[in-house]
This record gives sequence, structure tokens and C-alpha cells, in this order.
Amino acid sequence: MKRAPYTHPEAELSGPRYWRSLDDLSQSPEFLAQVEREFGPEASEMNEVDRRHFFKIMAASFAIGGLGFAGCRRPESHILPHSKMPEHQIPGQALYYATGFPLRGETLPLLVETHTGRPTKIEGNDDHKGYKGGTTRKAQAAILDLYDPDRASAHTKGTAKISNADVNDLLASLNKKYAASNGKGVAILAESSSSPTRLRLKKAFLKAFPQATWAEYDAIDATNAGIAAAKVTGNDTLQPKYDLTKASRILAVDADFLDEEQGAVQFSKQFADGRRIRSSKEDMNRLYSVESNFSLTGAMADHRKRLASSQMVSFLAAVALEINLGVEGNALKPVLNPLAGKLDAATKEWAAKCAEDLASHKGESLVFVGQHLSPEAHALGLLVNEKLGNLKKTVSLVSVDNGKTASIRDLADSIKAGSVESLVVLGGNPVYNAPADLDFAELIGKVGEVIRVGYYNDETSEKASYHILQAHFLESWGDGRTYGGDVVAQQPMILPLFDGVSEIEVLARLVGEANSDGYSQVYATFQSDNGNGGKRAFEAYLNTGFVEAGYKTSNSNVSGLELADLLKGFTAPAAPTSKDNLEVRFLNDATVDDGRYINNGWLQECPDPMTKLTWDNAIIISPALAKDLDIVAADSAIQVARKNPNKVRDGAQFAKVATITVDGREVTGAIHIQPGLDSYTVVLPLGYGRTKTGRVGSASGFSAYAIRSASAFLANASLALTGQEYQLAETQEHWSMEGRAIVRETNLDDYQKDPTWVDHMGMESHSPAIYGADADMPTQQKITETPRGGSMYEHPDLTGVHQWGMSIDLNVCTGCNSCVIACQSENNIPIVGRDQVRRGREMHWIRLDRYFSSGSKDNTEIPEDPQVSLQPIACMQCETAPCETVCPVNATVHDEEGLNAMAYNRCIGTRYCANNCPYKVRRFNFFDYQQRQLDKLYMGPLAPKGMPELVQMAQNPDVSVRMRGVMEKCTFCVQRINQAKIAQQAKAGDSDDVRVKDGTIKVACEQSCPTDAIVFGDLKDPKSRVSELRENERTYSLLGYLNTRPRTTFMARVRNPNPAMPDYHDMPLSKKEYKAKAPKAAKHDSHDSHSDSEGGHH
Amino acid sequence: MSKVFPKWTNALPLKIVVFVFVFVTTLLAGITYYVTPKYVRVGYEPTQPVPYDHSFHVNELGLDCRYCHDKVDQSDVANIPAADTCMKCHSMIKTDSPLLAPIRESYATGEPVAWERVHEVPDYVYFSHQAHVNRGVSCVECHGRVDEMEVVSHAEPMSMSWCLDCHRHPEEVLRPIDKVFDLDWEHPGGKQGQIKDGHMFVEERNITPPESCTGCHR
Repeated sequence: MKRAPYTHPEAELSGPRYWRSLDDLSQSPEFLAQVEREFGPEASEMNEVDRRHFFKIMAASFAIGGLGFAGCRRPESHILPHSKMPEHQIPGQALYYATGFPLRGETLPLLVETHTGRPTKIEGNDDHKGYKGGTTRKAQAAILDLYDPDRASAHTKGTAKISNADVNDLLASLNKKYAASNGKGVAILAESSSSPTRLRLKKAFLKAFPQATWAEYDAIDATNAGIAAAKVTGNDTLQPKYDLTKASRILAVDADFLDEEQGAVQFSKQFADGRRIRSSKEDMNRLYSVESNFSLTGAMADHRKRLASSQMVSFLAAVALEINLGVEGNALKPVLNPLAGKLDAATKEWAAKCAEDLASHKGESLVFVGQHLSPEAHALGLLVNEKLGNLKKTVSLVSVDNGKTASIRDLADSIKAGSVESLVVLGGNPVYNAPADLDFAELIGKVGEVIRVGYYNDETSEKASYHILQAHFLESWGDGRTYGGDVVAQQPMILPLFDGVSEIEVLARLVGEANSDGYSQVYATFQSDNGNGGKRAFEAYLNTGFVEAGYKTSNSNVSGLELADLLKGFTAPAAPTSKDNLEVRFLNDATVDDGRYINNGWLQECPDPMTKLTWDNAIIISPALAKDLDIVAADSAIQVARKNPNKVRDGAQFAKVATITVDGREVTGAIHIQPGLDSYTVVLPLGYGRTKTGRVGSASGFSAYAIRSASAFLANASLALTGQEYQLAETQEHWSMEGRAIVRETNLDDYQKDPTWVDHMGMESHSPAIYGADADMPTQQKITETPRGGSMYEHPDLTGVHQWGMSIDLNVCTGCNSCVIACQSENNIPIVGRDQVRRGREMHWIRLDRYFSSGSKDNTEIPEDPQVSLQPIACMQCETAPCETVCPVNATVHDEEGLNAMAYNRCIGTRYCANNCPYKVRRFNFFDYQQRQLDKLYMGPLAPKGMPELVQMAQNPDVSVRMRGVMEKCTFCVQRINQAKIAQQAKAGDSDDVRVKDGTIKVACEQSCPTDAIVFGDLKDPKSRVSELRENERTYSLLGYLNTRPRTTFMARVRNPNPAMPDYHDMPLSKKEYKAKAPKAAKHDSHDSHSDSEGGHH
Repeated sequence: MSKVFPKWTNALPLKIVVFVFVFVTTLLAGITYYVTPKYVRVGYEPTQPVPYDHSFHVNELGLDCRYCHDKVDQSDVANIPAADTCMKCHSMIKTDSPLLAPIRESYATGEPVAWERVHEVPDYVYFSHQAHVNRGVSCVECHGRVDEMEVVSHAEPMSMSWCLDCHRHPEEVLRPIDKVFDLDWEHPGGKQGQIKDGHMFVEERNITPPESCTGCHR
């Protein structure tokens, strides 16, 4: 039937013709003002609105809604094509550009996915040999920073907005003013950077203004290694760079090289490669870790020793004394002996046995010293490495040119002396994070003119005369160096959203360069550093994203005499011994870093890998200290989970609040008890307690900078309880596996004796055979025919071309949480806020379960020296999924290729599926987290609705945004699967070549994984990586006895302890617990005894 | 008691039952007919800012679909041409036609032309053009005889069951790859010939159209 052409009303909008919400319809000024708000600082209650009032408003709104049937009109929409088609762009297809993520002295090579000119997802650059596509959680979350509605949006002078031209005039006038005085009176305070362009401009600046001060300050300082190398080699450009590729024995001295040290992604890759054994015949590396905090590196260690950070020099001295020091021994022993003498006998023995093992692997061992430790510790580390023959093998001294740099203390002295008239603060946030004894907030007031270049309006901007808006790294040209020195290009993905300028543009204008735009500057650096390859070489550089430049390795030797000289003036500090004599260790926070990511919701809600705390930091103390303070047990998290159900309200931990005092400065925060810390070390994560930040970051934790005067650790602190309580938001209350075979672990020697041990753990080792008579069927047949075995149900055949599966290797997973953020970014997962996390409603599709095990049978005491097991859990895509049988509306069903599909539009929110899921991986949208402000969730329709436009831009257009009342879960990145299949089909044309090649699809978690622990692929292809891993003898199904037949399988963890060590356990503590739990009269001789209960963990 | 309920009320229950039956049946029939895509969407024919005549450009001038929708076989979405595509010819011919003013303006200012969207699937449906046109599904199957339309109108209901009809019986629509953009083409062997060859194409090309949720919903 043909109808008359339909003519739409005039296009210009005088008001909304159809509306998404009642508030939208009313278009009240309040609503319009609030539409932009999404996040609030604190949780809110329903109490604000009484029921009567609620109905009154609802009735009124419905009355308005009825007028004119505005909602009945067909939604009219437009297609807006480009005026001129941009090159390379195909509407609907993602485009990838290479760039880099700069953080302090390292730049991570990236590929960024853009959709019609807007970046949506950060991926690692697979082509780089060192990083191989790995990323960190902080790099993954940078997308959200770009689209932060709270970011500074204008250049300001005081509170008045100024234009880009005004900024240029300001910088030009500075240039003119100080050119005359040779730079006398001008100072720059910058963060450290690896950018060659910034280095060039820094040198140009110091040349143009010879009397100017260029100071650099990082709250997380990594300069001590360089100071030490300069001292013992006499060359002050040298820095040690580590390489774990050939290291088979590694000693980490207070070094979290798998997570927080510079180069962590590269180290993770190298470390994992040394541990990724495919059969019991292969050997793997061994990691020793001595540390004060419990880090992820400690969790991966085969032997771990708790020791206060101040004792690390003594510890290294003890190690050095155990190895052959050669002729220099005579000079060194007299200085080393008193240092080592400070250690107790047990620690000394530990050091001796460890040193013995290192010494028997000369040239392939490594002593890794933490970047925050003193120059003495680094110098000792270098010496030990040299004597072990590791120089140029596992550690190299490389030449890193950083120009002439002053410290923040030098700058403070100049300011006090009144010799600084103009201070340019390039990035950073010194008013918030400078050492407490400098009192920088007051100091900066003495400077005549403070020009601040920053991304946020923060504490420093408040004190500045000018705030110059800094562009995000995804909006600006730049460059940087990887850990190894390769130069990484930093390309903009989008024009600056708010007219920001980059650091190098500000510097270029300050030194009066003719072409001050970022592109010209980066191009000029590239041409001068890499020969005149011209445009073509530059384009090749942008295309690959990096050039393998590398730092130059020096032939310098470590001088033992210089070291002896250095150590002569050093007295080893005493170890902390009681609650009145504590040591405080300041820690770069695992998520918000030094405070710069405080307003990033993804990172705020990403659990700390070890404490599992979100949204706040805490005073982290050891169980021993908790006992001394008499707060043990009743309030600790371990007891919350076991003994004291009354203390679990809304699934949150009620923590005691305490005040910690050092040098007359004090700070107050909630206490979190964490096993595995040095007994009298208190760990304070930095970065929280910001006074001026956006809506996400305000009222979050306490600022440990308030008491941090000098280094990364301070002695003589005391702790006192205030009597108050605070509700921390924690994502894992359950601390232990309690003897169940969830994470399966063994020691390497046991594995060699019994390669099939993994099948003898867990209930399925003697439950009815899951595949029945078909147990010997090849995997490829099993997954398509799903044999019935002992099951009551008929299993459908899976007919698809591919059968998707995943393998997760627990032996290399370091638990870094990079996958959590990658998944959040890829799949449009909302954040829910502190209050909802306290109620256990976080939405992460993949989580990292962290278990402590002590080896004891009942786990009633908090262990002091536990082992940690980490396990990533996402939807297992069970072949016989329990969730599917209980869905009343068939919203979750299987597809042909073995995916457990979730059709959001069918879901009516009964939550039966989540109740029936043994892995607890389904997530329910209790509220419209995407559309509502997090502090107004309980106001329902009365709260304003809508996602800020800026946040909308961060969403992945290939994934549906879910609404309230809908269940969601991991889909194996079905969007990536479908895109790969479609691309293959388009390529196939009229041929039958529709099978996607192995490795084409990298799901988000797999892509971001720095250790390649996650492998995804087609199980139907017997040659695919995932098929091979599934056949591996270490592979097991989690809760396999439930006959769920998960498509995600795990590879059991193998520890590699040294039998000579004093803390040697002949089996991992979790396995010991598992065995201890077994009923006394185990009848099954051929199996290991089983646990009495499994499942239902979270 | 008879004073309370007069005699005519005796027939009332039956009348109510009959009325409710008729009312509900009519309502259901009405909804089925009037509130489904077959009625609501088919025939939708909005006025475009520029009255582009497909039948003229295709039949008189011989343009291929892909002259303008040039990314249809490379992307999930079939792009609406940018103004510069129109200007390839119209910078030389009909350069001052008032009908083309929006195009010239867009080309000059960079502001996009706001074309009225005719075919639209919901946001939670991920349809891919390249997966269909590269495998032998012609434009005509979903968009109708655009080559004969002076004003583009919505030809098919594009409901989920309509999608599934085809996914369950792909042999009815598969054609040789070189005939995909030939909207005029029909199998010379008629319906029987089409089905016979269709089965052959399904076999040859290993066509397995997804029938489960993940095929279109992500």
C-alpha cells in the first residue's frame, strides 16, 4: 500500500517533541542545570523525599505527559554525512592509530581505537618487542580522563577566562622579559618526562635563560638508582636498566617490578616467559622477594620475606657478604659487616641461602632494587649484580641524558631567598604532593607570578595566577621513550576538546621557537635525532608508533671502593619494634597513582590488587600490630568473613579509625588489616584526600602527603585509635579458599614427579565421570557433541563453524587488574559508586579473586606469612550453563558457537540466573547507573537523567549500553568475535573460507594482559593456541564436578621453591590446607582426598 | 429482590461476555495489524532536504549503488555520500540548481546535510551490510526496488521475524556475487531455479546465517 509522502515539521527544535524522561519533558532550569552532573561525592538516601511528596510529583508529571500525545509521533532521526570525506575513514569501522601513554620516565606504546574521530579504547601496540601489546590499568583508564566532565575547560587568570591568544601573549611576554635578564628570576617546576622533544626544549630553555632554574619533582621518585650509579661508576648519566629475559634467579628487594616499578609491563612479559612452562620437563625461573608491603611481586614470589624498608641496605649487605667479592672484599667487608649485623639470625640465614642460589646462577641471576630505596641500597645492588656476573646480561648501565635538573628542594631554597619572580609549574600538583616539610602551599605564595599548566583545576591551580589548560595526551602531539629507550610517537586522536595546549607547546612558546605547534616540534626532534629521513621516515615512525632507538649501554664497572666510601658514612637505621616505634611506608597507589587519577571513576572503582579496597585508601597494618592495638580479630576483614556476621552490614568492612603521627604531623584514616606486612610497618597509599578535585574524587580517603616529609619511608611513627568507625568499600570479603581446590597449585618438583596431579584435586576427581563413556573423545569432538555423560539432560550439539574457548594460565597471571579496566572500557561497564560497592553491586565483568593461605586447617588466626593465589574470573561460558535453565524468558541461551548469549532486551530482571551461577559472574543493574547521578540513585525518577555528552563519547558504539533491571555478564567480547567473522566473510566472498584464523580475535582482557596469561580462540581448530593449552596437563575446569563444562579453563599454578631455604614448604600452603581439610578415612587411594565443600565463593 | 435488578439484567452477563470477546479480539487484531512494523514502517517516505531521484540516476545515468554508497561492501553501515561525492558531477552540471543548494552550502561550509533517515534498526541491533552484500544477498532484499523509486520509501518491515525468515531460508535470496547490485535481476529459472541454485550457494559458500541472539545483539 502506498501512502502520501510524510512531511516532517520544521527541523529547528523549539522544545523537545518527544522526551526520554519526565524531567526532560518539563525542561525546568534545574533539570537542565543538572543534566551535566553524573557523579556525586557521597551516597544519598531515599529519606530526602517522603512518599506523599513523591506521588504528588508523579501525578503532576503524568498530567503534563498526557497533553498533546507528544510521545506518539514517530521518532525522526537524521543521517549527517561529512561534507568532505576524510581520508582513511570508513563510517562504522574503527580506525587505529599508534600513540604512547606517558607516565613519569616511561612511555607505553599504544594503539588507540577511534570511531569517526573519537578515541574509545586503548590497546597496547603489539609490534613493540618489549611490551608486546601489554598495558596497565592506568593506561587503559586514560580514555575516561579524556572525557572527564570535571576536567578544566578554559585557560584562566584568577577566575576570569582567557583565550588561547592571551596565553600566547603571556608566554611571549615572559620570553621577552627574561631574555633581557638571562633568565634571572624565572623558574620551571616540571614532572620528570621521557620525551626527547621536551628534553630538547629544556636544553633550549636553559641555553636561552642560563640563570633560570629548571626543577623536576615527582611524588613517586625514581632518581635514587641514577644517583647510586653515578657514585659507583663516576659517570653521572648512567642508570641501571634491568632485563629479566635471561634471569633464572631473581631477588626483588622491596621492588614491585611486576606492577609499580617503571618498566613493569616489560618485566611482566619477561618474567612470565620464564615461567610459562608447557610440560613438567621444562624449567622455570625462581623469584625471591623481600619487602615491607605485600605487593603483587611478593604474591608471585616463590620465597617471600617480610622486612621493613629501612632494613633493605642491611639485607643487601648480608647478601653481598655471602658472595665472592674478590679483591674489593677487603675494603668492603669492614663496612658491610656492621650493616648486616643489624639483622636477626633468621633473616641472615634467609639472605645467605638466597645468595647461595643466586651465586650458583652467575650471569643469569638478578638483584632488583626497588626504585624508592636509598642510593646506598641501589649501589649495593649494583655491586652484587656485578659480582654475580650479571652486568650487561640481566642488568645494564645505560646512558640517559636528562639535562641539568634541580630538585624541588633547590627550588624551595631559591624561593625562600626571594630569587624567583615567575614560576611556571608544568603539570604535576606540588601544592598537594610536595614534601610536607617544604610547606609548598605557603611557599608558592611568595612567588610573584605563578603560571600553572595543568589538566585539572586542582590545589596548585588555586594558588596560581594563571591556569593554562593542558591538553590530554590523546589530544596532542608529543613523544616519549619506553623503559629501554625506544622512542614512541604520541599522536593526537582528536583535536583538543577545550582548546588545551601541550607541555611542549608551552615550552616552545616560552623559548620563542618560530613554529611552536606540537607537530612541528615533534617533527624537528625526530629529524635531528634520527637523521634527515624527511617526511617519509617520519610517517613510517608514526605508522609503527616507535623507532627502536634504545639507550646506549655503557662499559663502566662498579667500583667497590667507591661503594665502601659511600657506605662509610651510612649508619643502618634500627628496625621498627613496637606500636610506638613504627615505620611508615608510603606507596604509590595501585589505582589513583600519586593522586592524578583521583577523578577517574574506573580507577577509583578498580579494586586494589591486594587489599581489594575501592574508593578510599586505608592505613594498612599487619595482624601483629592489630593485636598490639587490641583491634585484632573482631573487626578485621578475615573475621568479618568468618566469625562476626553482625559486623557485616551491606557486605562492607567496618574499620576502626586511627591517627598516625610522625615528626609532629598527623593524619587520620581507616585501618585495614593486611597479612604479610612487616609487623611494624604501616603502609599508607598516597594519592587520596584531595581537597580540590572533581566530583568523583572528592571526599575520598586521606592524604598521606600530609605527613610525608622526605623519602618513601619514615621511622618513629605512632598510631592511636580514635574510637570511630568507617565503612570501607571492599570487593572481596572472603579471604581464603578454606581448603577447596579452586586455585590448584603445586611445587615444581611435585609436578615433575606427578605430571597429572591437577586431575587428582577437587571433587571431580572422584565424582561420577562427567563425560561418561565418552571421556576419551578428542576435545574437538567433545565440544561439538557435548556428550551426555552422567547428566540427566540431553545436551544440544553445537553446530557453529567455530567453538570459542579461553585458557587462563594461573602460573603467569600476576593479578594486575589491567584486564578489569580493559573490559570496563570495551564493554561500556558503568561505575556504581562507593555506596553500591559496599552493597556488593560492582559491575565488573571480570574480577581478580585473591586468596590467602596459611597452611593451617581452619584459618582461625590471621596468618602472618601467607601465600597468595590470584585468579581472574569472568563468565566461563559453560556448555551446560546452569543460568540458562532457570531463565523464564529465554534471555540467556546458547548460540551455535558455544557462547552463553545474554539478550538484554529480553531480560526482565528476575535474577534467577545470577542465583544459579556457581561462579558468581553475573552482574545486575540495580539502578540506571549509566543515566543517573550516583549520589541520587535512590531518588528514582525524581533524579535528573542522562549521561553527560562528554561521557557518552567514551562509550564503545559496538556494545549496547544496558539499562536498569537488566542482567549482564562477560560475552567473550562477542562484538570482536562478530567483527572478525564479518571481516572474514567479506573477504571470503563466494568461497567457503569463513573460518577466522587463530589469533585474529584478541578479546579485551587478553589484549591488555601484560603476561599473556589469557588466551582466547577456536577450540574446534585442533591447532589453535587455546586448543593446545586445553590439552595441557595443567588444565582444569573450575568446579568441574558440577558438570557445567566451562569453556574457560584454568592452568594450575606451579611454585618453584628452593628446598635449601629456611621457609621452604614441601607443598603450596593452599594445597596443604586442601589436604588438611580431607576426611581422615579417605578411601580413594588413587586420588588425592577431596574437599568437603566446594563452590559458592566470592 | 426483583425490584433491585430489573428483568433486562438477566441478559447482561451474556452481553458482557460477548462484548468483551469482540472488544478483545478487535483490539488484538488491531494491534497485530496497526502496531507492527509491517504497517508502521512500510511505506514511510519522508521528504528529503534534497529530492534526490534514485530512479533517474540509476536508470537514466547508469550509476551503480556503490558510486555513492561506496563503503557498503567494506563496512557494517552503508554510508550516505558526503557532499563532495555529489559535487564530483554537480560542480559541472546543474551547478546553479536551487534544489542542490543544500549540497553546495554543505560543501562550502563543512556543515553536514541533514538527510532524513528512512531505514532504522534499534540501537541494540548490529546489522552488517558488508557481511550480506559480499556473500550474495542483494540490496533489493531489504530495500526494495530503490532503482525504481523517485522518493525513497521503506519497502520491507525489518522486524526481527522478517530477518529470521531469511536467516532460516537463505537459499531463497542468495544470488551470484556479480548480481548483488543488479536490483533488476531475477533468477531466470524462476522461484524453483532460485531455490535450487540457492542451496548450491549455501553449500559452496558455507553460508550459516546465525539464528541465535549473538548474531545481531551484542
